[in-house]
Amino acid sequence: MAGPARGGFPRREFEREPARRVFAGELRESRIHFREGEDEKSPTYILLPTGERCNRIFLVGTLTEKKKQGEQNLFYRARVVDPTGTFFIMAGSYQPEAMQQIARIESPAFVAVVGKPNVYETPDGAVLISVRCESVTAVDKDTRDRWVLDCAKATLDRIDALGTTPDGERAVQEYKTDPALFRKMVYEALSQLSL
Amino acid sequence: MDYSDTADRISQKVKAKGHEADPAKIEGKLRRLVEEFGVPPAEAERTVMSEIAREFSLNGLGTAAGEEKSLNSLLPGEWATVEAKVVSLTSAPSPAIAQSGILADTTGAIRFVVWTKANAPILEDGKWYRFESAVVDEYRGSVNLKIHSGTVIREISRDTVLSPRVTPIADLVPGIGSVKAKVIQEWDVTHDRMLQSGLLADETGTMKFVIWKEEGREQLVPGKVYSLYYAVVDEYSGRYSLNLNSATVVPEEGDIPVSSGDTRFTGALVHIAPGSGLIKRCPVEGCNRVLSRQNYCPVHEIQPGFNYDLRIKGWLDDGKVTREVLIQREVTEQLTGMSIEQARELAENNPLGMDEVFLRVRDRILGRYLSCTGREIDFRMLVNSCDLLPFNAEETASLLNRAGGSS
Repeated sequence: MAGPARGGFPRREFEREPARRVFAGELRESRIHFREGEDEKSPTYILLPTGERCNRIFLVGTLTEKKKQGEQNLFYRARVVDPTGTFFIMAGSYQPEAMQQIARIESPAFVAVVGKPNVYETPDGAVLISVRCESVTAVDKDTRDRWVLDCAKATLDRIDALGTTPDGERAVQEYKTDPALFRKMVYEALSQLSL
Repeated sequence: MDYSDTADRISQKVKAKGHEADPAKIEGKLRRLVEEFGVPPAEAERTVMSEIAREFSLNGLGTAAGEEKSLNSLLPGEWATVEAKVVSLTSAPSPAIAQSGILADTTGAIRFVVWTKANAPILEDGKWYRFESAVVDEYRGSVNLKIHSGTVIREISRDTVLSPRVTPIADLVPGIGSVKAKVIQEWDVTHDRMLQSGLLADETGTMKFVIWKEEGREQLVPGKVYSLYYAVVDEYSGRYSLNLNSATVVPEEGDIPVSSGDTRFTGALVHIAPGSGLIKRCPVEGCNRVLSRQNYCPVHEIQPGFNYDLRIKGWLDDGKVTREVLIQREVTEQLTGMSIEQARELAENNPLGMDEVFLRVRDRILGRYLSCTGREIDFRMLVNSCDLLPFNAEETASLLNRAGGSS
């Protein structure tokens, strides 16, 4: 039986999936996705090239463009830009709250997004990653800058642990991850902050 | 009969002392003693054990008949002979149990159970006994001694004074523990049979305590310091609590420094749950439950008069773990800049009613970085102070160094 974490908070039996911090430049490179367990309701994960699985992500960037699509099944697609690239986000009728939020936000605006990334393969073999939103909230620049720091730290932590965890090993094997490339990405993202 | 388990156990113990013992050979010896000579299995185990101990001149393996073990060396699944003092008797929870309580010696303490079927003599609190061939078992994660019909009990005279070792609260594990702690909170009694419950604290942490109604049991005084000897540390779904019914309670003079039990957690607010914002509470004295939209209290039914409250239920996430937080009125007012009066006015004058308050609260703090301080209760962090985390330019420099460093 799992005892409580000493000196910390005891853990629930079923834990909510934490929202990982990942730059668009890294999420774009992800290909591996899998389901943990046999059940239909088991969580699905994307394996990040820096070696961590994520079921949910938290990102803050600039909403640059939004588009309403569909007739009976109305949904929104939008682009959110961070210092390293673009996230493609969407919210449909199964995410009514996020959809209403996007509808009310005028681009451009800083937004904080919580959502689940999905990998899609097009018939011609291209891979698309889109984030199905749980919430999209307009925020200020301070929150965006704070996120860049948070995401930079999380990415560097993953690079430092690359190859030392089962997911880290798998990432090295599947993606042949070059840590220097991702360090450079982090460096450039941080450099834009100080400007 | 199968002897391999016993043989394995013996060879493990010998191995732990740095010698090799062949389980097959041990098994042969056991089989011979039991099947050819009619020795009871427990006695056979002891005999083989002591033979090996002599062979390798080992001490401490001593399970030879007549040689007893200390309480802190007992392992589940063993048969044991111990000499110990009854330091506490608790009411037996079932007719199958004649007596239960706590035994102690100079090395530690252990819970014990005397089966009704054992026909054992009644044990008296404060007396020393020798228990031959009792069974060591595990119950709810802690070691426990079972006294059955094969156990030989003899009262012995000892004048050893036992001074139980006091454990810091943060280091308690399920079983028996003694603490020196201060009563920092008294909680509402939630059960007819409960005498008192609340929170104990020392310098290292806090733990819930409970005392059940029983003759001779008295309530603790909030704010006072006590030495509590031989309390039972229970575990329930990952959380520990102290049952004081078995404990010897000694009031102490003066005060001790205590941990507030508060922890700090920093992360992004990634979700605000329904039931956040302006809510209505049941006005019945002592109820305070949240009313549904129809002003319905699950216990007191429709309540036309009600009290407003303002709160945030949500999830704070640092990218590694996510924690449920419950932010109460004052902190919610300070975070959102909306007082409960403003929230009430907004709700009463807006077509969306209380939903409008929810939406405004959400738009002001969802997705923001917060640093919260509070106490954990039932897996939730009860937040008593919370601040928006500002952007820190110095961190940029150190992260740039990290990223540009060893590439």
